[in-house]
Amino acid sequence: MNCLDYRRQLLAGTGETDAMRVHRLQCAGCAAEWQEHGAFEEALRAGLEVTVPAGFAERMARAQALRRRRFLAAAATVVAAAGAGSYAWLTRPDPLALAFIDFVMKEESKAIMMGAMPRAEARKVLAGTLPLDKVERVGQVKHVGPCPFNGDTAYLIVLMVPQGKVSLLVMPSAKRSSEGHAAKEGMSAVVMPMHGGSVGIVGENHALVMDVAGALQA
Amino acid sequence: MSFEDTVRAHAADLYRYAYWLTRDHAQAEDVVQEALLRGWRAFPRLRERAAAKAWLFSIVRNEFRRAAGAAGREESLDGVEVPDERADPAGLEMRDALRALPRAYAEPLALQVLGGFSCAEIADMIGATEGATMTRLTRARQALRRLVQPRERKAGPA
Repeated sequence: MNCLDYRRQLLAGTGETDAMRVHRLQCAGCAAEWQEHGAFEEALRAGLEVTVPAGFAERMARAQALRRRRFLAAAATVVAAAGAGSYAWLTRPDPLALAFIDFVMKEESKAIMMGAMPRAEARKVLAGTLPLDKVERVGQVKHVGPCPFNGDTAYLIVLMVPQGKVSLLVMPSAKRSSEGHAAKEGMSAVVMPMHGGSVGIVGENHALVMDVAGALQA
Repeated sequence: MSFEDTVRAHAADLYRYAYWLTRDHAQAEDVVQEALLRGWRAFPRLRERAAAKAWLFSIVRNEFRRAAGAAGREESLDGVEVPDERADPAGLEMRDALRALPRAYAEPLALQVLGGFSCAEIADMIGATEGATMTRLTRARQALRRLVQPRERKAGPA
């Protein structure tokens, strides 16, 4: 290493290598340069270290903490809103179940007055959707007969179970993929898919309706 | 180390680096704040937490370039000359001398002295070769020496 190499590397500020140190120990000029360089580097560091506003680091760190808290709060709000939306969606009354309640409250007596159908015929008609003997195992069938419902033909079954009376509306051609619930004016209803069609159950309380639904699905 | 702790550890050096990029205290604070916002968003994706310091310096640099570009005052890093020796006002205080230094030379110097980064790291940050970075560092020190030393003391190596 010569003086030029030594001083060029010194100016690059990469620190003194072993080779540089060996050269410095043998060269009075570069040793003096080394001393001067040390003082220069101190002045350089002091010059670059401009005054940072008081409490800057802490202020920046607190801003990040605040940002994190706001983010978490916003995320929690979004989750809560999504949860509330999901709950509202899940608990939204099923339109068909509501229509079943309306039918039972306003049209059922009229449908019964139209007359029952022979049980043999009822067994035949309902066999593919809800076999009548299955219904008979759940309770006492008081009435089975056709009735107009939602522009289609449904079959009304009035069933007495130990807990009270329930009305079943069997719709062989109304395909459905999921269960729906509704409650209105003291009545509860569930509508569920059943062998390519659907069955609605309306009763005076949700527990009764769900008990019958469970028994029919068993 | 959390992002807050990382910020606490490096905020002062980031501010100083931003100052030497912007040459303005208010702009330096703005640049660091914006950079930390970007950093905060990207921190979860930072795999090497040990490299957080260099990463934050790079974000500050990018943020400065973005802000400077938006304001139409970005200084090209190519073809920047060190102050002409004949025009040098010799005997300046170091800080004034640093202010007289073009950003292309002051920046690697700040990264080296304030950040403690190696030539290779600085080269990576500023998008230059290691050789070019060493040249800039050398020229920056040469220019500063000329600026801060009285004229009669100016002398080349023996």
